[in-house]
Amino acid sequence: MKSLRQYLPWILYFVFFLGVLAVNPGAHYTHLLARVIIFGLYAVAFNLLFGRTGLVSFGHALFYGIGAYITGMLAKASGPDLFLLYILLGGIGAAIVSVFIGLLSLRLTGMFFTMLTLAFAQLAWGITFKLYNFTGGDDGIQAIPKPAYLTGPVWKYYFFSFVVVTICVFVIWRISRSSFGMVLKGIRQNPGRITFMGLNVYKNQLVAYIISAFFTAIAGGLYAGLDGSIHPDMLHWPTSGNAILMCTIGGMNTFFGPVIGAAILTGLEEIVGKYTEYWSFSIGVVVLVVVLLFPRGLLGIKWPWGRKSTTEEKETEVACNTGD
Amino acid sequence: MPAILEIKDLDKHFGGIHVTNHVNITVERGEMSAIIGPNGAGKTTFFNLITGSIPSDNGRVVYENEDITGTRPEKIVKMGMVRAFQVSSLFLEETVYDNVYLAALSNFGKNIGMFADRLSYRDAREHTEMILVRTGMLGCRDLKASELSHGDQKILDIAIALTLNPKILLLDEPTAGMAPDERVKMMALLEDLHQYFQLTTVFIEHDMDMVFGIAQKIRVLVQGELIAEGTPDHIRNHEAVIEAYLGKEVV
Ligand SMILES: Nc1ncnc2c1ncn2[C@@H]1O[C@H](COP(=O)(O)OP(=O)(O)OP(=O)(O)O)[C@@H](O)[C@H]1O
Ligand SMILES: [Mg+2]
Repeated sequence: MKSLRQYLPWILYFVFFLGVLAVNPGAHYTHLLARVIIFGLYAVAFNLLFGRTGLVSFGHALFYGIGAYITGMLAKASGPDLFLLYILLGGIGAAIVSVFIGLLSLRLTGMFFTMLTLAFAQLAWGITFKLYNFTGGDDGIQAIPKPAYLTGPVWKYYFFSFVVVTICVFVIWRISRSSFGMVLKGIRQNPGRITFMGLNVYKNQLVAYIISAFFTAIAGGLYAGLDGSIHPDMLHWPTSGNAILMCTIGGMNTFFGPVIGAAILTGLEEIVGKYTEYWSFSIGVVVLVVVLLFPRGLLGIKWPWGRKSTTEEKETEVACNTGD
Repeated sequence: MPAILEIKDLDKHFGGIHVTNHVNITVERGEMSAIIGPNGAGKTTFFNLITGSIPSDNGRVVYENEDITGTRPEKIVKMGMVRAFQVSSLFLEETVYDNVYLAALSNFGKNIGMFADRLSYRDAREHTEMILVRTGMLGCRDLKASELSHGDQKILDIAIALTLNPKILLLDEPTAGMAPDERVKMMALLEDLHQYFQLTTVFIEHDMDMVFGIAQKIRVLVQGELIAEGTPDHIRNHEAVIEAYLGKEVV
């Protein structure tokens, strides 16, 4: 039964995101769902660092932006035929940058780490603004071409995103369940003990940071193709903050929680955004409610059909060592 | 008997306090020894210094004929000098099994696997089970560390250390905060581990029944200074020790 419960989220994932294609909700909602799934990858990639390793980066917009700009600029400059390769190059570019930022900022802990990642991302945002000839400044870059097989009805791009995102999310899922993933979880709970288990906290954090940056940039690259337009706001701090919000709402200690968070964030923007440009206010309310009522996030709620409560086991606690 | 660990002229100040005062200690292979001394004597600091947790002001630490002064703590652990903590240091959200298993992954160098399921390493699984049996924790393998009694948490902390295949085990107050029956159990456990694994064991302890019950050698630290060293009988009758620490009632 354990294995069924372990795969249930995947089954729901496929049923929902593929079922949507069968239902054919129309161009507008398909586009919306493409955003959900792309943000979902962003949030899951971010959460490898945030929920898993316990590192609060406030600078992931940088990697998201690098992915988007590398993909967008390459497609614009050399044509869209190798679009998938450009997305991959975006990931690699972000990974390379993340090595340097990681080496520096992981020397610090807690709030200082967070602030340094924010500083780097804001710096990159500023540069993107200023380098008008190269990045288009605050106009961004428009009319990014897509390969022929992705143009036309939006479901094509949705399906393409779905495939790329699913592969990436699957890889991150495997990493989470691997022994390396177990070390990361240990680092979040007790880094001092990890050291005295003979493991290097800094190195493991750095690897997690690089992996997270790589997949974040893949999400950014996908986004560049969705509307064929990118803009420096993608590197601005609210983009970094959104990652934290998505994980917090959905449940940062669950694997799929961030995808739920991505759906809620995107949904709120869609629904409330129709009535007021202050839609982000509604996000504040939702975060507040979730944090107060379900501090572990929506997927972190102890559902009755979830893991059985351990209260009965507690009675036996003193009996633990009576065996010898 | 050859020395496994030689500490030469180790020195440490915290601000104005001299917490480790030119300490010289030679630990022999296979010994079971205790470090005693009043609160704040610098016992934990001494462990922190030799395991690389904090840098010393002066002095050398020679382990297995190699100068390890200034070596990173995780390297020292890999070399076989492993510690357990005064306040047990665990992964509270994880099960007893996983706490030990993570140490086993590290021990076999399997911690770097990224795609295989974490439980797919047979050597680590078998090692984990062996340790759980040896420490009497098998019965609670599926409890979370946070659900254990205080005493069992201390045992789990030692189990983690044991999993790392130590050549020398440093235990900081293994019975701290324990009920009397738990202390007896801990004493039996340490003796068993010492014999079964031929494990060099150095423990800091306040409980004198334990100290005089199982230590072959006792060292006394007072205000950072090693004031006496010797067999239990020697220490029991050592005037400076009685005056500084033991008091009359123990004699
Ligand atoms: N990191 C530190 N910074 C400053 N002072 C410290 C630090 N660690 C310990 N001290 C001080 O050094 C002295 C020795 O502390 P230590 O913890 O080594 O004592 P101890 O012998 O282990 O005591 P106890 O039996 O209570 O555990 C104390 O006065 C303590 O306050
Ligand atoms: Mg102490």
